[in-house]
Amino acid sequence: MSDRVEAVKKLFTSKSSRIETNKGDTYYQELFVKCEARLNELRANTPANRLDFSDLLEENGIDRREFMKWASATTAMLMLPPMFTPLVADAAVMMNRAPVIWLELQDCAGNSEALLRADGPKIDEIVLDIISLEYHETLQAASGHQAEKQLEEAMEHFKGKYLLFVEGAIPMGMSGQYGTIGASGETFHDHLVRCAANAAAVVAVGSCATFGGVPAASPNPTGAVGVMDVIKNKPLINIPACPANPANMVGVILHYLLTGQVPELDSLLRPKFAFGYRIHDNCERRAHFDAGEYVEEWGDAGAQNNFCLYKMGCKGPMTFNNCSIVRYNEAVNWPIGVGRGCIGCSEPDFWDKYAYERPMADAKIKAPTGGVEKTVDEFGLGMLTAAGIGIAIHAAASAVAGKREKSGESHE
Amino acid sequence: MITRKWIERIEGEASVQFTFEHNKVSFATIAFPHFRGMEAILHARPAMDALVITPRVCGICGHSHLFAAVRAIESVYANSGFPLEISPKAEALRELTLSLELIQNHFKWLYLVIYPELSHLVQCPIADSFRLKGAYAASLATKVLAIFAGQWPHSSYMIPGGVTCDPTYVDTVRAMGLLDELIRWFEKELTGISLEEYLHLSSTKALSRLSGDMGDLDKMLRAANMHKQGFSYDRYCVLGEHGFSKPSKNINKRTTKVNAKQVTLENPYTVDEKTYAKNALYQNNPFETGPLARAIINGIPLIKHLHRSFRDSTYSRIMARSYEIALLLNHCKILLQSIRLDEPSFIEPHKKITSLSGEGVGIVEAPRGPLMHKVTLNKGIIDHYALITPTQWNLASGSPQTPGPAQKAMIGADSIEIATFTFRAFDVCSVCTTH
Ligand code: SF4
Ligand code: SF4
Repeated sequence: MSDRVEAVKKLFTSKSSRIETNKGDTYYQELFVKCEARLNELRANTPANRLDFSDLLEENGIDRREFMKWASATTAMLMLPPMFTPLVADAAVMMNRAPVIWLELQDCAGNSEALLRADGPKIDEIVLDIISLEYHETLQAASGHQAEKQLEEAMEHFKGKYLLFVEGAIPMGMSGQYGTIGASGETFHDHLVRCAANAAAVVAVGSCATFGGVPAASPNPTGAVGVMDVIKNKPLINIPACPANPANMVGVILHYLLTGQVPELDSLLRPKFAFGYRIHDNCERRAHFDAGEYVEEWGDAGAQNNFCLYKMGCKGPMTFNNCSIVRYNEAVNWPIGVGRGCIGCSEPDFWDKYAYERPMADAKIKAPTGGVEKTVDEFGLGMLTAAGIGIAIHAAASAVAGKREKSGESHE
Repeated sequence: MITRKWIERIEGEASVQFTFEHNKVSFATIAFPHFRGMEAILHARPAMDALVITPRVCGICGHSHLFAAVRAIESVYANSGFPLEISPKAEALRELTLSLELIQNHFKWLYLVIYPELSHLVQCPIADSFRLKGAYAASLATKVLAIFAGQWPHSSYMIPGGVTCDPTYVDTVRAMGLLDELIRWFEKELTGISLEEYLHLSSTKALSRLSGDMGDLDKMLRAANMHKQGFSYDRYCVLGEHGFSKPSKNINKRTTKVNAKQVTLENPYTVDEKTYAKNALYQNNPFETGPLARAIINGIPLIKHLHRSFRDSTYSRIMARSYEIALLLNHCKILLQSIRLDEPSFIEPHKKITSLSGEGVGIVEAPRGPLMHKVTLNKGIIDHYALITPTQWNLASGSPQTPGPAQKAMIGADSIEIATFTFRAFDVCSVCTTH
């Protein structure tokens, strides 16, 4: 047990898991000056496409006040102090100058779908609409050879400056023949390497691009891997989840546009502003978890009363993502809101390790030191993952408390 | 002379290779050069994993996959003597969210594929922001969907026995509000008349008199002569059973029963090109599936009328799909009004899934046609899982003797541009085709 405790301690105290929300005045002053300079530089560039942000805002009936509200929320999301708000607003307006190239590899096109305003707060959508039309392999107007030519021109024109967004995994099996592109029959692998060569940074969007995702699930028929297994010599940002939340894509682009830097990342290269949160800690059903009130079967009284889904297999306690805060489809809802536990889609190998409906403690999740855990009910204090340790104890304790209450032993 | 042309956009990439004779397309093959192996991934997993894995086959029609997977597992229950009881509420919610997925899909296809391509064909450029209209409408539809399903794409809220959500009055009122907003938008932007009136149209002349985008669509399609080309087999197949559509086949204007057991797969025909797609056939014959098939088989007056004059031309195909938006909007409204919140969302099966063995088939009508999931379970573990998707029907790549529906429709086209447009009218979904 002691080595496990040590391992957990190490994980929690490692530098990469700390979120520094305040880096001191001097730091921010310097950053501010730098950002201003960058924005001025951008202003001089010609827009990459014809869509105009202000026009679109107007068309969508969004006034200045609403826009500024969005800008200040986005500033906070990016973990920047309020004085950056006007800069964030300026950066958003200049989105059509953001050199973003978007590749689609072995995917389900779900992230493009999410990007196509299926999701996210309205202004995020507009921002994405603007950047997405010109060099997106699915959405751009041109097709075939013409599209390829456009892509090449864009890479040449923005050499060393563009952000390369990648959606989908890279099939390495059968010499890459499970995925080829364009008339040349170039493999996804070669296509990615070629497009990444002159990128300023590569952003892997969705669980397929980050960790291999569904295609890489056992037995991984096509030998699928994530971008970070292929691209080693570039700054890389992972935005996992299936699908990835558009708000987080916008965050990364804005951050880059503004500061010219990649945002602060955790050990899995995920931006901390989005993946520094644990689902469980911001879940609306958390109170029920704490009270030991669980859904035990689909459709039971617990389900009708929105009790905690831990025993139905919710992986919220060990999943890092901001969907409990940002939610989906213009913040309308999220899986837990409809009584469906979190499946841990932003974590590596979640298809195999987290499984699905099996309660978390039944799933084959390795604790940092290895080993499969017993169920909470069976064992009481199973340690689940680094993040899960406190939870398991808590669940067991609160379950006991809950039972006591039912049998009339509570002090009420 | 063989000219090769690549078609890509919306849902990955397909490649179409054309053969020209006397300046007309004489033959074309369709290839899908990528693969993930979803069926192999499903093998040996607990049955319920299919509910989260199969939606990821496709980012645009994943909800249809979820529904098919649930129906497949429920069919295993039924085949082993434990038919599940589904409450009318759960049934209505499933059908509602499926219909909303169809709606968003149709909108995106119309505004992101059809209008831009068509405006290019008739040389009447449209503004970039015009395409965003489709995205806007689609997002309204998925918002309603997400109220009940939690998120879109990739929700897993349907389960064998019902659904996981337990909507309140507030939820349905909110859904109704958003749906109304979408209907009003549809009336204003697409038809210029009320949904009600639009649904009562029965002549093609009335279509060209419409003032909104639908009127323009009609005019542009005619200007491009799309009512005189793109003919395929005029043979249709619907396999999924829903409130908005019944399963049947239609050959030579006669509608008769279908049996999903007659669906077979065939290896594709391509020349010097690899493809991972298999052709889907009914009694070894190609059939057209999707909105036009549904409209013909379900006897939708306007589309039948249109069909009488223009048969299965590209015009009919596109009009049938756009018209289905209206049918489905109306259907959603009726479904939402019908939901009785006091009914259970889920009725527990009498048998645990972990002791369930046997075979089952789940079929739904996805945006582009019938989607089949076939599963064999052994004590709740997936022994075998097979997916047959709509595009395997329409975009089948057959030999010159038996071309698939889209292939046949492209033959005789005057130019690559026209053939490409004909192809797109069927709508490419490469991620589904190969899975
Ligand atoms: S991560 Fe999910 S949404 Fe994105 S491509 Fe993969 S399966 Fe599709
Ligand atoms: S276990 Fe899941 S449902 Fe329960 S509180 Fe945590 S995140 Fe929410």
